[in-house]
Amino acid sequence: MLQKTLTKSNKTDLYLDLVELTSGLLLAGFLWTHMLFVATILISQETFNRLSEFLDTYYLSYIGIPFVLVIALFHFVIAGRRIPTRIQEQKIVWQHAKMLRHTDTWTWVFQAITGMAILVLASIHVWMVVTGWPIRAMNSAERMESFWWFYLILLIVGEYHAGFGVYRQFVKWGWFPRKPIGYVTKVITAIMLALGLAAMVVLVQIGGAI
Amino acid sequence: MADRELTFEIFRYNPQKPEIKPYMQTYKLKETPGMTIFVALNQIREEQDPSLMFDFVCRAAICGSCAMIINGRPKLACKTLTNTLPSKIKLFPLPVFKLIGDLSVDTGTWFRHLSLKTEAWVHTSKTFDPKAQEERMDNETALRIYEAERCIECGCCIAGCATANIRDEFLGAAGINRVARFMIDPRDERTPAEYFEVVGCEEGAFGCMGLMACDDNCPMELPLQMQLAYVRRKMAAYGLGYKATQGVKLA
Repeated sequence: MLQKTLTKSNKTDLYLDLVELTSGLLLAGFLWTHMLFVATILISQETFNRLSEFLDTYYLSYIGIPFVLVIALFHFVIAGRRIPTRIQEQKIVWQHAKMLRHTDTWTWVFQAITGMAILVLASIHVWMVVTGWPIRAMNSAERMESFWWFYLILLIVGEYHAGFGVYRQFVKWGWFPRKPIGYVTKVITAIMLALGLAAMVVLVQIGGAI
Repeated sequence: MADRELTFEIFRYNPQKPEIKPYMQTYKLKETPGMTIFVALNQIREEQDPSLMFDFVCRAAICGSCAMIINGRPKLACKTLTNTLPSKIKLFPLPVFKLIGDLSVDTGTWFRHLSLKTEAWVHTSKTFDPKAQEERMDNETALRIYEAERCIECGCCIAGCATANIRDEFLGAAGINRVARFMIDPRDERTPAEYFEVVGCEEGAFGCMGLMACDDNCPMELPLQMQLAYVRRKMAAYGLGYKATQGVKLA
């Protein structure tokens, strides 16, 4: 009780909740921008390369990538505190979700799973990109051709996690009614998935042509 | 739908007789027009098995005592018509609450704890004068208070909540809705700091993960999402503006 009494009645829980919110929104914003940037390959290889060179010349990638990594790490630790860690709690959550057959409960279970998947997959992705620096259409096309299945999984889990994450934050803070927010996030997610898939197809074709 | 034979699979367990492990018992029953789960359970108890335990009082969705898990979802037995369900009906007691036996749970202890923890009464320094005219309140505020007050404490929101199922201390939608009710009430003189003490934490507003099973399963259709969000926003706004008092340092 001593420890509990002394640590209670402060604002830690509020701050954690706010860090979860801001880091999540920043990451979702980053992911969506990222997908738009990648989708410039749909216009032309030159556009893709010019954008990438622009980001390099102004050191935006060199600031952006470490920044996003730090935010992602914070998000993993702080949003991850919601994930039940004890086996019994895990069992309860699964049993509960199966019993309730409630959409938002299931989407949350998958959000926890996709979160873990992103932690692993995105780390590999960043490693591959950074060791194959700089980002140019040819490098990306080669990577995409060899590892399209890897990027397909990452695209789906990433967009899923971001879309439902944004939805859930809006639900929790109640800035807008739930149903319209659900539609909006689903539409954004669908657009991002479509862009990502289209970019993948183009990159794989370029990679195949080399 | 007429002349259906309903098959009830009902959870049986009596904590007083722990030597008999929990099991599912099957009962068959002819469906009658307008039959509710409440009617069906009474008929089973009268005609087939007097040992079956379940709760009910008002049979009109007012008392909140007949909440149970009906085909996986928390619902009121008296408000659930059998013709809205398939002919196989599975019944479980509400999770989270203490099991009395079979379908009967003790929601009273849980809600009493909630009332005490949130101090669910109007805190005022004024002494009541029975001869004075009642204080006036604008209609909008009165309606907002009434909306939150419609909670019948059936426990469906708690049973449906993943957080409440794994964290015993979590107040759940019923608890946070109750706090919201007093926050709106102009007669309550509690300061934001006092509210923050109760719900500005993981056990309260910030423990909600936003799965909204409470909102989707409330038999009274209370606007629980907005109530939870209201308290969360209020507490965040207050928490960002106030200075924590200096505590004792252990090392």
